Amino acid sequence: MRFAGRMSLAVIVALAFAAPASAKQTVKIGAALSMTGPAAAYGANQKVGIQAAVEEINKSGALKDVVLEAVIEDDASTKEQGIAVFQRFINKDRVAAIIGPTLSNTAYATNPLAQQAKVPVVAVSNTAPKGITDIGDYIWRVSLTEGQVIPGALKTLQGKLGFKKAGVLYGNDDAFTQAGYTVMKSALADLKIEVVAEQTFAKPDRDYNAQLTSLLALKPDILVVSALIENASGIVAQARQLGWTGPIFGGNGFNNPVLIKNAGPAAEGVYVGTAWNRSSTDEANTKFLASMKARGVDPDQFATQAYVGVLVVAEAIKQAGNKGGRDDIKAGFAKVMSLSTPLGKFSFLPNRDGDHTPAVQVVKDGKFQILQ
Amino acid sequence: MEWLQETYLTYQSTLGYIGLNALLALSVYTTLSCGQLALSSAGFAAIGAYAASILTLNFGQSFPVALLAATALPMLVAVPLGLPVLRIRGVFLAIATIAFGEVVRLGLVNWDYVNGAQGLVAIPQKTSVWMIYLAVALALLLLARLRGSKWGFALEAIREDEAAARTMGIHTTVYKLAMLVLGAALAGLAGALEAHYSFMVAPNGFGFVRVVDMLVFAVVGGTVAYYGPVVGAAFLTVLPEVLRELAPLVGIEPGPLRFLVNGVVLLSVILFLPNGIVSLPARLRERRRARSVTA
Repeated sequence: MRFAGRMSLAVIVALAFAAPASAKQTVKIGAALSMTGPAAAYGANQKVGIQAAVEEINKSGALKDVVLEAVIEDDASTKEQGIAVFQRFINKDRVAAIIGPTLSNTAYATNPLAQQAKVPVVAVSNTAPKGITDIGDYIWRVSLTEGQVIPGALKTLQGKLGFKKAGVLYGNDDAFTQAGYTVMKSALADLKIEVVAEQTFAKPDRDYNAQLTSLLALKPDILVVSALIENASGIVAQARQLGWTGPIFGGNGFNNPVLIKNAGPAAEGVYVGTAWNRSSTDEANTKFLASMKARGVDPDQFATQAYVGVLVVAEAIKQAGNKGGRDDIKAGFAKVMSLSTPLGKFSFLPNRDGDHTPAVQVVKDGKFQILQ
Repeated sequence: MEWLQETYLTYQSTLGYIGLNALLALSVYTTLSCGQLALSSAGFAAIGAYAASILTLNFGQSFPVALLAATALPMLVAVPLGLPVLRIRGVFLAIATIAFGEVVRLGLVNWDYVNGAQGLVAIPQKTSVWMIYLAVALALLLLARLRGSKWGFALEAIREDEAAARTMGIHTTVYKLAMLVLGAALAGLAGALEAHYSFMVAPNGFGFVRVVDMLVFAVVGGTVAYYGPVVGAAFLTVLPEVLRELAPLVGIEPGPLRFLVNGVVLLSVILFLPNGIVSLPARLRERRRARSVTA
């Protein structure tokens, strides 16, 4: 009797320990983010987006027995450390997929390593039009390229405002702003908008009066600017000081609440093409905004795209039959179709770039609002 | 065995970058060894990196040919640069050579053939870690041979007192120029090896910050010995990775704090070992002797 009691107790205890251990499977996702160095502001937001998405997916139980785990590392905005982080993810942490890196220039150096090792990568902030997904079939991208956002935005804007002559100002010493300029130039040509003049500046510049004065003297209908956020506020404020009241169109660098904070009322009438429609009333978006608010974070496009990056990986795991191997996830990406995300319905194009509808924002009453 | 392989694969890029940074630190050391603070190495590295990448990408040349060109071209540029700028001294020489680096960088930014600021991408990976260390070994061998030779003594004399060296019949210009040319060759070679190691080159990778890094490698390692810069490059390249390893153990989240610790370590080395890490054994010996005397 006593012996039988002990036996049954032992069996129960053994079962209790054994049952959960056999069921759960942890899938690691590496995130190589720039949390120090020049791109630190973007990386911090991306980190929040990734952590929120991982927590929500695990809580929802959508992946059944699969538990996601985010491994976040800092690449210091350099390719040297970006490469080190990727090799760590691939060989040491043995992650199933990698999100990042923050900068396109780092991606050119790191993604070939993931391609060689057959580890799927999801780019969530690389917007360089060429050479990212071209690296190979394991490289996928959630973030829309400048080429996917700017031409459509300029077309919509021209329909509204009917401008014919543009003055172009761009930063020519930065990979991102230079690529944005190339896209703007061809988009303006396609719309048959005359470019009255082109002016350039460099990243460390803080005075743009000379360039702006010479552009404004030629009486354009609109200013088209490709700049990083650190230059954007100054350009907008100085253009207004010189008496420019017309529209200013900016690339993705302008897509940041900091613009309004720094430029103040001068930012009114700034138009920005955006991958993320902040004021979308889509359920996925309102849910995302609520969850961010609960964390005390004011999300920007970088946080949103990073969040969607995790959603896309989770969907790929689901499509692969809740399997989290590297090749399962890669195969799953191809089956991601019209996924509901804060960015809208998301699918991949045949070249592995992301596809969803971009929007145009305007700064009005001290806020980014969607141009209807 | 498997553990060893995993560790190697994880840290192979760090291993490679230790060698690359060592070459770059040595390129700054060459001119420092005769007392000249020339900060043109980033410019020379850019010339080497671009020359080699253009040759392999656009002209289908073999890697050895590209490396040879990447070593030779900066040397050719160093001669007309060095003749005028080596006439000026101290901080003015530093400023003039920084300007040279910026000219190279801005030239590349405005050169459409090499994609301007976006740089060259999809460069084939042809550099192996052993090639990097072979280059480091050859550079060290050369610098070791200089020590105690007629050349070595001349360089030391120029470093200690240039005017006195000249009155002793040392042709200071020839020596200074030769060291600048040697530094240019090392930087160019390092640039070419890096470009074919990391798949891409962009002008912003060769800015002022980069040359300051090289100088810091040399100073932290110690410029009293020819191998000092290599020690400094190894220490400072490994440090962020070691901190990455330690961070989760002590609960530091990845991010700015890691760099703060990096800065503190760097500062303490400079404060407590002004002659660099290579002076550490001598310092310890001194201290032990002092203690035994008092005891």
